[in-house]
Amino acid sequence: MASITISTPHKSYGSKVFSTKLAGGRLPLTSSPKPPSPQVESIHVPSPPPSTPRPRRSILTTSPRHAGEGLPASPFTLLPTSAIRPKPRMRKIYGKTDRFIPNRRVDEAPIRTVRTPRATSSKQPPSVLAGAAYGLSLEALSLDDDDDDNTSSHNTPQSKPSPNTTAYQSSLASACDLGPTRILAFQPKAPEPSRPIDLRSVYNRPLIPRARGAQHRRRIATAPERVLDAPGLVDDYYLNVLDWSRGNQIAIGLDRQVYIWSAETGTVENLLEASEDTYIASVKWSNDGAHLGVGLGTGEVQIWDVEDQTKIRSMNGHEERVGVMGWNKHLLSTGDRKGQVFNHDVRIRQHKIAELASHTLEVCGLEWRADGARLATGGNDNLVSIWDARKLDAPQHRKTNHNAAVKALAWCPWRNNLLATGGGSADGKIHFWNSTEGTRVDTIDTKSPVTGLHWSQHHKEIMSTGGFPNNSLTVWTYPELVKSFEVGAHEARILHSSMSPDGTVLATAGPDESMKFWKIGEGTKGGERGTGLGKKEAGEGDRSGMAGQLVIR
Amino acid sequence: MPSEKEKSKVHKLSLKGSSKIVSEFFDYSINTILFQRGVYPAEDFTAVKKYGLTMMVSADDQVKAYIKKIMSQLSKWMQSSKISKLVIVITDKDSGEHVERWQFDVQIFNKSAKTKSSKSAPDKENSAQGIADAPPEKTEQEIQSEIQSIFRQITASVTFLPMLDGNCTFNVLVYADADSDVPIEWGDSDAKEIKNGEKVQLRSFSTSNHRVDTLVSYRLGD
Repeated sequence: MASITISTPHKSYGSKVFSTKLAGGRLPLTSSPKPPSPQVESIHVPSPPPSTPRPRRSILTTSPRHAGEGLPASPFTLLPTSAIRPKPRMRKIYGKTDRFIPNRRVDEAPIRTVRTPRATSSKQPPSVLAGAAYGLSLEALSLDDDDDDNTSSHNTPQSKPSPNTTAYQSSLASACDLGPTRILAFQPKAPEPSRPIDLRSVYNRPLIPRARGAQHRRRIATAPERVLDAPGLVDDYYLNVLDWSRGNQIAIGLDRQVYIWSAETGTVENLLEASEDTYIASVKWSNDGAHLGVGLGTGEVQIWDVEDQTKIRSMNGHEERVGVMGWNKHLLSTGDRKGQVFNHDVRIRQHKIAELASHTLEVCGLEWRADGARLATGGNDNLVSIWDARKLDAPQHRKTNHNAAVKALAWCPWRNNLLATGGGSADGKIHFWNSTEGTRVDTIDTKSPVTGLHWSQHHKEIMSTGGFPNNSLTVWTYPELVKSFEVGAHEARILHSSMSPDGTVLATAGPDESMKFWKIGEGTKGGERGTGLGKKEAGEGDRSGMAGQLVIR
Repeated sequence: MPSEKEKSKVHKLSLKGSSKIVSEFFDYSINTILFQRGVYPAEDFTAVKKYGLTMMVSADDQVKAYIKKIMSQLSKWMQSSKISKLVIVITDKDSGEHVERWQFDVQIFNKSAKTKSSKSAPDKENSAQGIADAPPEKTEQEIQSEIQSIFRQITASVTFLPMLDGNCTFNVLVYADADSDVPIEWGDSDAKEIKNGEKVQLRSFSTSNHRVDTLVSYRLGD
């Protein structure tokens, strides 16, 4: 145990600076107090008898890193026995060194090379350097190597082969290349991270987990701004009886009546009442907000001038109810229960100008792209058809990925060829399509029937309305597809939904016979915020020239 | 497999149950390391309660599927006691250099009799040989608190591990017996040791059948 003898003198210095003169002078047998790295190595290399229970820790004790740890023994006690060396003391020293390297194996060169610069460079004890940075963490780590220390100093030779033995065996094994274990790697590459990583976000993590994503920079009220009664709303998924106009008026079809609710003044007018043998199956405002198309259960399509409260014309042609309509300037597209879609030019006498045949069951979703170049239709036959407006004899793309009726369709306002479609109960998925290529770009599984889809005009988001189980209104970020907001909106499935012209309020209606208004965004223009439903700011897309504040009541 | 209730009393697990604990530990270890070391962005993780701690597990479908694939094979191997080590290597994508290596050494107690000394000796910790006989039985609680300490250590280790630049990927290695069944996705590899690495031994935990030691080695900063 010569090495322990060596260690004693320079440990004993209370002062934290090691004096080579003193140590060397007094103790001729001592190794140099600044042990150069070769010396450390030289302790490993010899000692051929494999069974020698040489304590590995002796290597450490020669190192000057322990010098000046403030040990109480006087510099002149030169007691060589291991019994003098208190074990607890050793442990303590251990915890305070900067790096803890337990279970080092002799056969590992890296350890020596790592230690060398440290030992030579440290004029002052490394504990000074280390204490601040690492002391705390390592104390917390409380490495369990202490047990090893005990066993090694207890002279239990047979329990542990000498490091040299293990070194020899390992080098032999590797030389012969016959390890009995195979190292197997999982071959497939680890998936790429979804976005660049900034580790600061890990290390500077707040204690309370942040709400995920960037969506919570703004707040979305979890309660509706306003609730209106909608008595007699027909509980039928295939109808579309709610629409919000450019002129900030809401048309809603309740059984046989169509009501116009002005968001500006809050007044309600009964626009029309259908004959007793039928009901309102769909309503749709023209793009300028002046005219309302009304589809009836009989297949008749009427066009009303809302301001004058007069019917302008009736268009026949459909044999069954017209459950969905869509305007493109002077064109009105109507879809009926048999799966037929007609285009009507409302200006001319022979109004029917095109028949769009692709659906075999009821058409319940129909949406023109804002530029009028594409039309998307969805039906009860689970089919999504995308039409080129110049070529209506056959759909440009037919998409059969949905497993339920497709009612919800929405064209992305900021990417022209992006279409979102949502499937009903058995499907519950939102698919995103590149309408040029006809390829599916993305999918969200909402696990609930999708009854409506609306892209946000102000954020990179899409809103979906759903049915069982939560009847919720959900906001998803796009393209991340992270659910950023969800609220259970109605007591039953949300049948209809429509966005306000400024894109800040979504109106929803359900078979619980209520219509609710959800403030889902602020306008991008400045101005008054958070003033409730009473004041709305006109969006920039408001074509009817309603500048300034719109007051909804 | 013993039911949860049985386990909670005195821990007398079959090898299968013990393997399950170890496999589960590996699963959470991989997730924790991926999170703590920033291999994947923090937003991709969700918090779950486990071992009395809040553990971060990946919510990214691809990563989840990837880990699941690894784990399904791993638990098979665990149950047939084929594995002596699990290693997670973090590699710099640009340089291809291995920057960090998390090694979990597995000892199987009732198997130690038949392990050939030449096999375990070079790689086992020196202390390994002495305690090959089965330790006293432990309660579920004790095992859990041992595992808890390991995860605390893994979390705390970010304080001394060098900063990773974030452009890293990871690999999983296992040290399996030569006679193991190897599915096609697994192939022979080198140990992916870290050159000039520093090593820190973390805590261990043991069940009646397994003992798992944790060791992290990392590249020293320049």
